Amino acid sequence: MGAPVHGLTAKTQTSLEEVKRNTKRHRRHLLGNSISRYYFLFSILALCLVLGLVIVFIGKTALLLFTRISPQDFFFSFNWTPEEDAFGAAAFIVNTLSLTALTLVIAVPISVGMAVLCAEIAPNWLKSFIRPVLDLLVGIPSIVYGYLGLTVLLPFLRRVSGEGLGDGLLAAALVLALMVLPTICRISDDAIVAVPRKYRDAAYALGSTRLQVIMRVVLPAASRGIISAVILGMTRAVGETMAVVMVIGNTPQLAKSLFAPTSVLTSNIVMQISNVEFDSTWNYSLHMMAFLLLLISFVLILIIRLLGRKRRDA
Amino acid sequence: MKMFKKFTVTALTAVIAVTASFAGVAAAADSLKGKITVNGSTALLPLTLQAAKEFQKLHPKVKIAASGKGSVTGPQAVKKGIADIGACDWDASIDVPGFKAFDGQVANKVAVIPFATIVNKNVGVDNLTTEQLKGIYAGKITNWKEVGGSDANIVVITRAFGSGTRVNYQAKALGGGDIVKKEKNYKETGSSGDMKTAIGTTPNAIGYIDLVYVTGNDIKAVKFNGVEATTDNVINGSYKIWAYGYYMTKGQPTGATKEFIEYVQSKKFQQGSLKKLKFIPISAMQS
Repeated sequence: MGAPVHGLTAKTQTSLEEVKRNTKRHRRHLLGNSISRYYFLFSILALCLVLGLVIVFIGKTALLLFTRISPQDFFFSFNWTPEEDAFGAAAFIVNTLSLTALTLVIAVPISVGMAVLCAEIAPNWLKSFIRPVLDLLVGIPSIVYGYLGLTVLLPFLRRVSGEGLGDGLLAAALVLALMVLPTICRISDDAIVAVPRKYRDAAYALGSTRLQVIMRVVLPAASRGIISAVILGMTRAVGETMAVVMVIGNTPQLAKSLFAPTSVLTSNIVMQISNVEFDSTWNYSLHMMAFLLLLISFVLILIIRLLGRKRRDA
Repeated sequence: MKMFKKFTVTALTAVIAVTASFAGVAAAADSLKGKITVNGSTALLPLTLQAAKEFQKLHPKVKIAASGKGSVTGPQAVKKGIADIGACDWDASIDVPGFKAFDGQVANKVAVIPFATIVNKNVGVDNLTTEQLKGIYAGKITNWKEVGGSDANIVVITRAFGSGTRVNYQAKALGGGDIVKKEKNYKETGSSGDMKTAIGTTPNAIGYIDLVYVTGNDIKAVKFNGVEATTDNVINGSYKIWAYGYYMTKGQPTGATKEFIEYVQSKKFQQGSLKKLKFIPISAMQS
């Protein structure tokens, strides 16, 4: 139609259209935002619900145990013969703790050493080789570690020790150590890399050797990160089942030697859970063991959180 | 007139009734419908899966879901109502050592399962008597030289409590004897596969397993009271370590479940696929 009377109107018109278009787009964005917000909220709530149900269900079934036997019998008796109504889980608890401790004794020095090597000493080509390899090790299913333990490690241990069976705490700890090693190593590695460069420079300026810098400056500065790495490794070691079951021997007795076949909480649950009746004391005590594991990992995670908070405050 | 009408009505009704009943029969034959859930013994699982495949070809509208976890889960799942059929290596409707009878359940025999005593290939012994096996599993005989082998400690490997293989082995091979619990050279495994690997990789080890698993060069089956573990010896009655496999149902089976169990028990399946899977037909033991 007719040309605009002057430029201004045209400009106003276009900007009006633009505003309209922008409002539309803005509304679309708002809608998108609110939908995704509700979606995320829903996801989180669903997750919490499932988690809560798991805890409630395990806890409820577990606590039924104490209507049948006393907590004292369960926690402090070493006699586990469910066929004869003896449900003492003390041996499993002690074994679990000693297995975890032994695993860490083997794994921590090696993995922290590797982390130091990775972060401080190794040339770049070696770093870029070690790190992906460690990440890969985490992805191998635990049953594969267990099978290798059964077919490679056990015959080796038998030859070295002269034992007939070879199953026991040592075999399980060696398999677990290999499994937690990448976890501890990679997280400690990150913690060491995160130590500010100026600390090292200052130490070198004072005339320290490389070993002194690493031992006296870098490791203490990264200690919180390393501790949380160790605890994360520990949670993995405590809860690991399939690999342990294959090399520990599964005899419900207290481990008095490194080579005596024995049993831990996880392996005992997985060996027996499919063979017990639903409403039996046996079933309840297995649930109690599972609940115990849940509590142990909960406490460990709590410790990591507390450590993390302290570091942020510092 | 009136009578004629009556006659017509009667005739019509009769015709309709006859047609309907025929149609009904035809429909029943074609449209056996339903869902059958089978749970329980891992030893019977290959048999169940094969039977399910064949049965579903005959009756496309029947859905069969089968899974295996362990013998005692079978009757338990039936008791809880989460399975229609509980596969079990023992008759769970009567008491067996360690397990009470499941009330109101019916045991349907479906197969004969032979078991074998196996040892690592390095073990020189190739025959064991009931008394010797009892001694070994009770922890009284701990060295192979006591039963005619070389001077080496016996490593005893057994299945976890509740395993059907263990229940049957204890009853038939050990004459109800105990299995030792807390010894140095004593180990439990969770499944037949684990048992085979453990015996194959552990020198001086002894264990027991379904006969179908006895393959390869790492393990060998030993004679029981001088009789070799073969299906022929089970059938002719000289080899005693075997048991019936059962399908447990809540009360008498009905509908599709009944048809399925009858199919598994049928001559066609028993003499065909079941034999191919190295089980023994139940008819072989009842004659």
